[in-house]
Amino acid sequence: MATAAQRRIKSVSYAKYGYIFTAPFFIVYFIFMLYPLIQTFILAFYGNGESNKLHEAGTCIHNFVGTSNFRAILLGGEDRASRAIHKEFFHYFGNTLIIWIGNFIPQICLSLLLAVWFTDLRVKMPGKGFFKVVMYMPNIITAASVAALFMSLCGNSKYSVLNNFLLNHNYIDEAVQFATNKWSSRIIVMFIQIWMWFGNTMIMLMSGIQGINESLFEAAEIDGANSRQTFWRITFPLLKTIMVYTLLTSMIGGLQMFDIPYMFHTGNIINEHIATVAIFIYDFFHKDYLHPSYGYSAAASVVLFVITAILGALVFYVQRDKDAIELRKKRKAARKEAQRKAARGGGLGL
Amino acid sequence: MNKLKKSLALIATLAIASTALVACGGSSSSDKPADTTKASDTTKGSETGEGNTTTTAANAEAPKIEFPDTGDKLSILSWTGDDLNVMIDCFTKNTDYKTDQVVWVPVGTNGGEAREKYATYFAGDGDADLLFLEADWILDYIDNDEYTAPLSKLGFTNDDFKGCYKYTVDIGTNQAGVLKGATWQCTPGAYFYRTDMAEKYLGVKTQSEMQDKVKDWDTFTATAKELQEKAGKKIAMADTLGGMWQVWQYNRSQAWTDKDDNLVIDDYCKKYAELAKEYYDKGYVTKEDQWQNGWYQIGQDESTLGYFFCTWCLGTGSMLSNAEGGVKMKDKLDENGNPMKDEKGNKIQEIDFTEDGKVQPLNKDIWGKYDICNGPSGWAWGGTWFAASPKCDNGTLAHDFVKFFTVDPVTMEKYALQKSEFVNSPTVMKKIVDDKSNHNELLASGDQFAILYDAASKIDMTGKITKFDSQIKNEFNDAVTKFVKGDIKDYDAMIEQFKDKASKIAGLHVD
Repeated sequence: MATAAQRRIKSVSYAKYGYIFTAPFFIVYFIFMLYPLIQTFILAFYGNGESNKLHEAGTCIHNFVGTSNFRAILLGGEDRASRAIHKEFFHYFGNTLIIWIGNFIPQICLSLLLAVWFTDLRVKMPGKGFFKVVMYMPNIITAASVAALFMSLCGNSKYSVLNNFLLNHNYIDEAVQFATNKWSSRIIVMFIQIWMWFGNTMIMLMSGIQGINESLFEAAEIDGANSRQTFWRITFPLLKTIMVYTLLTSMIGGLQMFDIPYMFHTGNIINEHIATVAIFIYDFFHKDYLHPSYGYSAAASVVLFVITAILGALVFYVQRDKDAIELRKKRKAARKEAQRKAARGGGLGL
Repeated sequence: MNKLKKSLALIATLAIASTALVACGGSSSSDKPADTTKASDTTKGSETGEGNTTTTAANAEAPKIEFPDTGDKLSILSWTGDDLNVMIDCFTKNTDYKTDQVVWVPVGTNGGEAREKYATYFAGDGDADLLFLEADWILDYIDNDEYTAPLSKLGFTNDDFKGCYKYTVDIGTNQAGVLKGATWQCTPGAYFYRTDMAEKYLGVKTQSEMQDKVKDWDTFTATAKELQEKAGKKIAMADTLGGMWQVWQYNRSQAWTDKDDNLVIDDYCKKYAELAKEYYDKGYVTKEDQWQNGWYQIGQDESTLGYFFCTWCLGTGSMLSNAEGGVKMKDKLDENGNPMKDEKGNKIQEIDFTEDGKVQPLNKDIWGKYDICNGPSGWAWGGTWFAASPKCDNGTLAHDFVKFFTVDPVTMEKYALQKSEFVNSPTVMKKIVDDKSNHNELLASGDQFAILYDAASKIDMTGKITKFDSQIKNEFNDAVTKFVKGDIKDYDAMIEQFKDKASKIAGLHVD
């Protein structure tokens, strides 16, 4: 009897169904994620252009060129093309950082403020659900529509809403080129990013605040802490983990920012004050489609990847739990101390 | 199958022969007999009627159509149906071909998209007989034998296009000197101005008086100054920087590169950049962008006296019509009465004609107030070329189609009048001008062809075409725009940036 049962258990293995059901994910992952990822790294070491020479005669996407793409991007070079690429990359990288920082700081402040208000038990705000939905809404609209919307609100044309308003009230004499001027265009893009993402961040921070043990707030209230003290002593420190998460995701997203800066322009000219690294990458393999410069694009992607990884590691290092490390160190020291004592005691005992 | 093909060919021959006979009553006759012989070539001796004797000699060396006739439909790749739908209509009305024999295969929604998507389309196994190519990037495709075949394979010789404007043939010829593209249109541009404003502020009453005021760029500038002084407010003379650039880009004295592919920067660059800067700063050109709504509004609220437009800007529902306030439009409906949508899901609109077939202008004050004069220099803007795909499997039909619009003056005239198109033949256009058979209600003088006929003759592109043109021009215009708007401090910095950007163009040498 027992042997038959054992045999049956042996013969029916459900493991293979597990493999079959998970296979589609892995197949798709390997083909569309892992392979392109590896291929990007490989392409970064190959030449540019279908059959020639972007700046070095005789190289094409089939030729191994070593680190010359990286050298051009990071260090520039002798010829004009390399220098131009170098200059452009760092210009665009600077734009990316400016736009990201300019949108992240106000965004996190706004989101935090709203998240605290919405979760505070003492603030009895009517229609909380409505506001949450409305504030999340901009995130649902496609970037293309948002860019088009803002183009008609504050574009270059004297018929755009902002220019029209200013002209009608005689604040200005002629149309301001909001969409192409250096700082106005950057501020507009920052504003769009804030407007699109603060709802999302707010919801994330709210879930973080709601995860904090209620009794802590109650205890603080009983002890007579005011809202400011509650926020700085309880909410903020305990929200650190979720803040780090927000910072990281926002940073990764911010460094790869593409859609709004790319689409916020008229005609064929991408505004180079708001052009980001992602636009640099896109431009290189896309603009001259018959001579795609995959090498530079891939090399720039790899550089961006490394920068993101370093910044990510930095964030983790800065935000690491110092108390826990301290505690671990202390424990270690105590253990060693105990061992030493034990050893010495043993010696004495002998 | 074979039988069907034979009878089709016979019908086609008879059809063409009959149009030839009808047209024989007219004045021109040099081209029609060629029709019949060419058709008889393909049908191998089926009856063709008279007229053979005179043409056999001329056609002795005419190449045969090398493409098979195995396909059932002529597939034409294009990003727009604006031209093609009228073409198919005109072609099938005037030949024996049926409307379902010629189909439009939409690729992309604008020229730029099509430029990229053609390459992808060719990688697949989709049917392709002919394709549309835009002036800016035609060389990309005609330089590549994978995408285009010589027109000689369609049974044409270079002599067939002798009657066309020379610059169109230059553009349709690839770097190796092989003719691969033929166009049905010539696209000269001119200056279009508001007659009421010109009279009010400048005292100009006729087209020739206006031309005197804008005959070259110095005069143009002087008039711009005069206009602002007399009007006492900022009125521009030119619509947009984009419009000015279109005029200037056709007026280089030499090619953008020398024979070793080195970028050439000459006085022209400086002249244009400084003129554009002056115009922008002084308000002689508006600050609006082309292709945006503001572009059309400036024409109605006295922001500008005029526009730089070309032949294809002048039809009903086109740019000039928009600048005059536009016409009443309605949603286009399908057979079931539901609104039709394009690839991107936007509703397709069409002109809402009255019952007696008239358009309904929205701004009656300005409608028909514009008129045309040559302007400061001759120029052309864009244009679209036919090229044959190497995959073409409807040789005869493709030959007949291309011939209908680019070689045969009789049918070209029909198309010119149906579409109000400036077709690619001086002879035909001269005839239309002399006959005064064109009427354009957008213009005070009622006709654009007389002036444009003159403008077309001035376009000369010989030796000025390089494969880098579209990219170089984009980068240059880009740099000038930034310079003009104050983003770049001075001219030298502008040239430096232009060179930086140009150095990224594959194969171009920049010092």
